[in-house]
Amino acid sequence: MDRMIADTAERIFSDHVDRGVLDAAERGEFPSALWDVVREAGLNLVGHPGSGTDGGDLYGLLTVAGRHAVPLPLAEVLIANSFLDETGLTTIAVDGVAPWARVADRVVTVEGEMTVDFDVAENANLAGESRDRVQMRDAHRVDVPGQLYERMALSRAALMAGALEGVLAMAIEYATEREQFGRPIAKFQAVQHNLAVLAGEVACARCACDGAIMTLGSANFPVTVAAAKARVGEAAGVAAEIAHQVHGAMGFTHEHSLHHFTRRLWAWRDEYGRETHWQEQLGRRVADGGADSVWEFLVGAG
Amino acid sequence: MFAGLLFEPTRLPGEAENLRTQVREFVARELPPDYWPNSDFNEGHSPAFSRKLGERGWIGMTWPKRFGGGERTFFERYVVTEELLAAGAPVSAHWIADRQSGPLLLNYGTEDQCQRYLPQIARGECFFSIGMSEPNSGSDLASVRTRAEKVSGGWIVNGTKIWTTDAHRNHYIIILVRTEPPSANRHAGLSQLLIDLHGEGVTVRPIKNLAGGEDFNEVVFEDCFVDDDDVVGEPGNGWAQVTSELGYERSGPERFLSAFRVLVEFVRAVGNEPSPGEAALIGRLASHLMTLRRMSISVAGMLQKGGSPVVESALVKSLGNDFEKLLGERVRLQAPPGNDRLEKCLRQTLLHSPSFTLRGGTREILRGVIARGLGLR
Repeated sequence: MDRMIADTAERIFSDHVDRGVLDAAERGEFPSALWDVVREAGLNLVGHPGSGTDGGDLYGLLTVAGRHAVPLPLAEVLIANSFLDETGLTTIAVDGVAPWARVADRVVTVEGEMTVDFDVAENANLAGESRDRVQMRDAHRVDVPGQLYERMALSRAALMAGALEGVLAMAIEYATEREQFGRPIAKFQAVQHNLAVLAGEVACARCACDGAIMTLGSANFPVTVAAAKARVGEAAGVAAEIAHQVHGAMGFTHEHSLHHFTRRLWAWRDEYGRETHWQEQLGRRVADGGADSVWEFLVGAG
Repeated sequence: MFAGLLFEPTRLPGEAENLRTQVREFVARELPPDYWPNSDFNEGHSPAFSRKLGERGWIGMTWPKRFGGGERTFFERYVVTEELLAAGAPVSAHWIADRQSGPLLLNYGTEDQCQRYLPQIARGECFFSIGMSEPNSGSDLASVRTRAEKVSGGWIVNGTKIWTTDAHRNHYIIILVRTEPPSANRHAGLSQLLIDLHGEGVTVRPIKNLAGGEDFNEVVFEDCFVDDDDVVGEPGNGWAQVTSELGYERSGPERFLSAFRVLVEFVRAVGNEPSPGEAALIGRLASHLMTLRRMSISVAGMLQKGGSPVVESALVKSLGNDFEKLLGERVRLQAPPGNDRLEKCLRQTLLHSPSFTLRGGTREILRGVIARGLGLR
């Protein structure tokens, strides 16, 4: 990913995504000030043809956004802008549900129906993120890129990879500061080993995403996305469990910020196909080739 | 991100992929049709097969040509090793010498030692064992008590090494010994010595494992004389050398492929129309395997750049070993009854599985290394 985009995003999200913004978004208020800053910096066009950026930058930006639990429909905006002319905020609907449809200018479905005329019923996922129900009127066909569902699934994997990094950082910081029995709990081997497992899952998530990003646009993409969404989803469950255990009762409070990350992990692992969906897809492809081609298949997929 | 968790996305270069076809053809030709494959690198000891690999230039691949190496990349070596393991080829004879002892000599050995041993290793004619653990020093390696006392022209070694894989059929062993009395700095005063396993003062006793195999041994040194020329690296620098050696030991595909044949036989058993549950299990295992390969290839890239990826290697091994165990356990629960091939594979994997998270660094030690990388220790 382009270093400058990563740095810009990191700086903007650090400065503009705080507890107040997250809580307001969860109450249903669109973070328009943050959206304006993102647009002024041109981050909404990362991955757009002619912007000088590519799919790797797009998913890299989503990872940074995940690390900050950015409460914008960034995945939808970036992926829509990667194949449509940018006109305000375009969100993407799957199964009649689209993030922040209540403020969107346009809705496009993963099947390729688009409209500017739609009804909205406000709705949220378990992280309190807007997942509005949309009723489309006067929709027309648009050309959507192949494997759009897979591209969206990878967006959730990339967001999770970022959130996982955030969760690891929080758990390490908490374990280093929190003292019990006269020393930081990070000094206890039981805690260290749990954090080591957490770190392993974080590294796996990143590598699984990278594997899919490396095959963007190739015939192997559906296979590597299946592996990524399944593996990262599994990592999300393990990591959220450990992060909460390390944080103790404090992490179970609404006051602590950990839940803004762990609830997103729990929500995102279910969106665009939960682990079993992708495992089954991947497993069928492996089995299709037969036992003596399992290795060839795995290596060939990347 | 934290140091030690940065796995750069790394693609295998074209020349490495080209090699893959050659290895597959070679394996298909060389292994007998009734060969029962096992992807555990510790299984299958065949000096004849190792010699053939040597003839192809597939041992010591990354070493300088003047020492019999191929001056090829770590990526090419990666491809050869993973293809051999996936095919279940008998690789244990040369495995340690190629992976570990050779690179150790290359890094710390004298010109003379390199000239003497590396070309033989690369030809697949000279096999090494690792002498680290002792009856009272397992994970706590710095507590080794095997002593080497300085005498004129060399050292006299007394002590016992244990869990020494293939010591009964290998040629040499490189042992970690105490050359100075223990001091406040536990890591000081350790050295590595290269010893002929068939020489005087060395006794090798087999230890039977729970699967009935006799791969590992106890090696006793009684007043064993070691020439000054056979000290590896600087006397007293043993700890640093051993630590660097473990980077090579921990990151390779042998750390996640030991149980691979179980997956293959499960796919065979369920056929090309698996139930949703069977397909999901195959997919879950595939998603782990694909991710571990990415990580291991990334570590090969770090080695290629001359890095010393200690934490990353510990992560790959730790995750890989857990995967190897998961594979056997989950397939067992969904295995269709009455499938002899699959049952045989499962049994073999289960019987060896305790060693997966012990050999080359226990799960507990690895988690400690990772925790140190996270700044917790």
